[in-house]
Amino acid sequence: MSINLKKILLVDDNQLFLKMLSKAFKKSGIECITAESGLEALEILKTITPAAILSDYEMPDMNGIEFRQRLMDDPVLNNIPFVFLTYITDKELMVKGLNLEAVDYVTKDTPVNVIVSKLNNLIYTVHKQQELSKQELKKAAEALNVRSIPNKTPVVDGFEINFWHQPYQDIPGGDFIDFIQVDNRYTFIVLGDIMGKKWMAWFFTFSFLSYVRAAIRFGILSNDYSVASILQKVNNVICYDDVLKDILSSLSLLMIDNETNQISYSGAGDLPLLHYEAETGQLKKVYADGILLGLLANSVYTEQRINLGKNDQLFIFTDGMIDFSTDKGKKSDYDGFTNNLKSFLNKSYNFKELETDLFESAPAARVDDCSIINIYRTA
Amino acid sequence: MIKLIKDEANHQLIEITVSEANLENADAFKLQVIQLLDTHAKSVVIDLNNVEYIDSSFLGALVAILKHAIAMKKEVILINLKKDVHDLLLLIRLDKVFKIYSNYKEALTHL
Repeated sequence: MSINLKKILLVDDNQLFLKMLSKAFKKSGIECITAESGLEALEILKTITPAAILSDYEMPDMNGIEFRQRLMDDPVLNNIPFVFLTYITDKELMVKGLNLEAVDYVTKDTPVNVIVSKLNNLIYTVHKQQELSKQELKKAAEALNVRSIPNKTPVVDGFEINFWHQPYQDIPGGDFIDFIQVDNRYTFIVLGDIMGKKWMAWFFTFSFLSYVRAAIRFGILSNDYSVASILQKVNNVICYDDVLKDILSSLSLLMIDNETNQISYSGAGDLPLLHYEAETGQLKKVYADGILLGLLANSVYTEQRINLGKNDQLFIFTDGMIDFSTDKGKKSDYDGFTNNLKSFLNKSYNFKELETDLFESAPAARVDDCSIINIYRTA
Repeated sequence: MIKLIKDEANHQLIEITVSEANLENADAFKLQVIQLLDTHAKSVVIDLNNVEYIDSSFLGALVAILKHAIAMKKEVILINLKKDVHDLLLLIRLDKVFKIYSNYKEALTHL
């Protein structure tokens, strides 16, 4: 769940007090969601994750301690910083509350601006700490040389391969890309998207990538160069891996055969690829038929051959490329993306120009990781 | 997040109340529906008429629910999908695993 830094939850049975505090927080740029009881607060927390919770102790039905206890029992909710708000300066109660990992106490006679500052500091400190942990994680991942996105593209005779990737809100996410050059003849191209966003999805990219890499390598060892059979193997292993239970991924797997100049393709729950025919100026969809990896063991994956003519291009991409936010809310628009891409290609834009003029043109409208791979047939 | 509309002998009809089904509400949604499945052991018909946009986290939650239901030999049926949402499901072949009907009446004939 993503945490909204500018939103906190206030719980108090005194409506007047809620109003007064909300007003003061609003002035300092923090939006308050209010609840008049612990039960109402629990209902709100089903859909919203605030940056902090400020709760009264004395409330009818469910008092603050009981409310806190309920949050403690929930693996997601117990991580939200919690502050007790009370008239009582009862030492026994304080100890009880601190045992429930309440971060702080604020007595109700504290001046409102002090309450607001306290909460502001708390949110800032927790956020800062989380940022530091993320930086540490990124450093560790780099040190271990685990990358879900490569830093260079392979050189393949007769083809030019490019890619563009943009993580959502600068946090690594569920998209992963890999290029595996077996020898001078065969090059595998992998594009996957773990369902989900940000860190949680990112962690699983490594498990999926490891399985995909292993399946490709084992395939080569036994002279099996079929992309469909590789996908089938990966899917079966994933379905039987308990750690990956409930984790699903789309995958486009392609192999360029340099000798025949053919590309074989098999897809699992991925978006149709786009084949740009230079001669006709048409952008055609290339459909695969496989379902998402990790959904059903023994699913059948098939493969097809794609013949690129000279100057033809193939685009392989994740759903982040077709999702964007508009004034009326978020939208997925595959056809819109296709039409845009087509008009740029017909104006002879190369991939670098597509990057700057099309992909990077509206960063604020992006709502997910974006990845796109381009294969260009040069000869 | 979800509203229970009907509780029938062999299925429950629920409605997703949000218009943007995304990362923020995916976990809560998954937990609530799985809880329904576990408690009542009935198939679930999910009405998506309010949903304008669905992201991959939420699709992941839907599929996780489906896997849970399959293990219990129950069904998950999706109804009243907006065109954009339906198109997306078709593009990534989720229509192969979910039963999708245009409305509740049509779903009933298959239950």
